[in-house]
Amino acid sequence: MDGRVILNRISFDLEHGETLVLLGRSGSGKTTALRLINRTLEPSSGSITVDGRNIAQLNPIELRRKTGYVIQEFGLLPHWTVEQNVALVPRLLGWPVEKRIARAHALLDQVGLDHKEIGQRKPYQLSGGQRQRVAVARALAAEPGLLLFDEPFGALDPVTRHEMQQQFLQLRSRYHVAAVFVTHDLLEALAVATRIAVLDCGKLELLTTPDKLFSATTPTAKAFLDTLPREAARRAGR
Amino acid sequence: MDTFVIKSLLQDVMRLTAQHIVLVCVSCGAAVIIGVGLGILSTRHRRVRKVSIAVASVLQTIPSLALFGFLLPVPLIGGIGQHTAIICLILYSLLPILRNTIVGITTVDYPVRDAAVAMGMTDYQLLRLVELPLAAPSILAGIRIALVTNIGTAVIAAVIGGGGLGVLIFRGVASLDTLEILAGAIPAAALALLADGGMNLLERRFQTR
Ligand SMILES: Nc1ncnc2c1ncn2[C@@H]1O[C@H](COP(=O)(O)OP(=O)(O)OP(=O)(O)O)[C@@H](O)[C@H]1O
Ligand SMILES: [Mg+2]
Repeated sequence: MDGRVILNRISFDLEHGETLVLLGRSGSGKTTALRLINRTLEPSSGSITVDGRNIAQLNPIELRRKTGYVIQEFGLLPHWTVEQNVALVPRLLGWPVEKRIARAHALLDQVGLDHKEIGQRKPYQLSGGQRQRVAVARALAAEPGLLLFDEPFGALDPVTRHEMQQQFLQLRSRYHVAAVFVTHDLLEALAVATRIAVLDCGKLELLTTPDKLFSATTPTAKAFLDTLPREAARRAGR
Repeated sequence: MDTFVIKSLLQDVMRLTAQHIVLVCVSCGAAVIIGVGLGILSTRHRRVRKVSIAVASVLQTIPSLALFGFLLPVPLIGGIGQHTAIICLILYSLLPILRNTIVGITTVDYPVRDAAVAMGMTDYQLLRLVELPLAAPSILAGIRIALVTNIGTAVIAAVIGGGGLGVLIFRGVASLDTLEILAGAIPAAALALLADGGMNLLERRFQTR
């Protein structure tokens, strides 16, 4: 990419069942980090290993089908129904039609959408938050072992958002998936993270646990903590 | 005017309309295959795009009558007759189809393409499941322009012995026979209107909303 360094010296490990939250300001390189992991971007140097194998040696198509990605702008296919959108990866994997449609229905219900009501609609007939949940359902459709969630709940009202976060935690403990979860929302980060990576201008400023984040002294981490309402901060023990 | 003249004129109109339709259908069919194919290649290889757009644009700027004339002396593809006319019409129809294919594919929303790739589509799946369906209205609009223009341009095919409704028009002009001119021009105009309406219906079926 035109010679600029966008991410520099980032390094982290992720175990099954873990959720690493990438926390950082706009433009800090969070999306870029996710793209490197599913090889929609190639690193100019450095390497990424999934399940003990360097992904540069894996077939990118297979890698992507095994990785559940919620892209920041949703990217639903406008000419397909909601149901077809959710069943996309199973379709690419060659699942039989009944099986993938059944899967799509189950997932739509799981993300709080009534598949009977909206399964046949086109994406433009949905609200922003509904579209986002369809994108989440699509990412989960083929039971991926690794999730890349780029602000997956950003367009949701606080109540739905909370429900989705709880769903996410259940999913994680049930399937033991590893997830890299991008958010700008500190409260969300605290709710879903097992560890938090704070990014600043493409650099890993801090890698820590949610508890220890409160005693962080690095500038971006402090700036994020300063956004907490004072009362919440007092209760959190600041 | 006696009934014999009318009857033979009507027979001519039928025969030449059929010829005209063949000229247009064969040349447009070939132009669609070449234009869409080159258009798809152009979105994959920048060099192909530059060269094909340049060539098609130059062809489009040559006045159609001159293009027919240029092809006449060319060995193998040239000469008097229908095949030269068809080749000429193909060359003439290429640009709108090529350009609209490229525009249709390259203007697919970035996040849509991005998501399709991120979900693990191969390049062929991206083309078939996402790019072509979303580009269809644009491609069809290009074909519509090519088709309607082609029906008019095919009139000139008569000059190099390609047949079609142009035969009546040129004969009418030469003998100052208004009836004959009209007998060629009216069916040609009707064909163009018909083609335009048909393509319009087809385009609507491919709208996403
Ligand atoms: N295709 C690209 N070409 C060049 N620069 C890019 C490209 N994509 C992103 N960038 C730049 O890389 C940097 C990091 O972008 P990235 O999308 O990773 O940010 P982000 O942390 O996801 O931000 P946001 O929270 O706003 O989504 C930004 O400065 C951005 O301008
Ligand atoms: Mg981003």
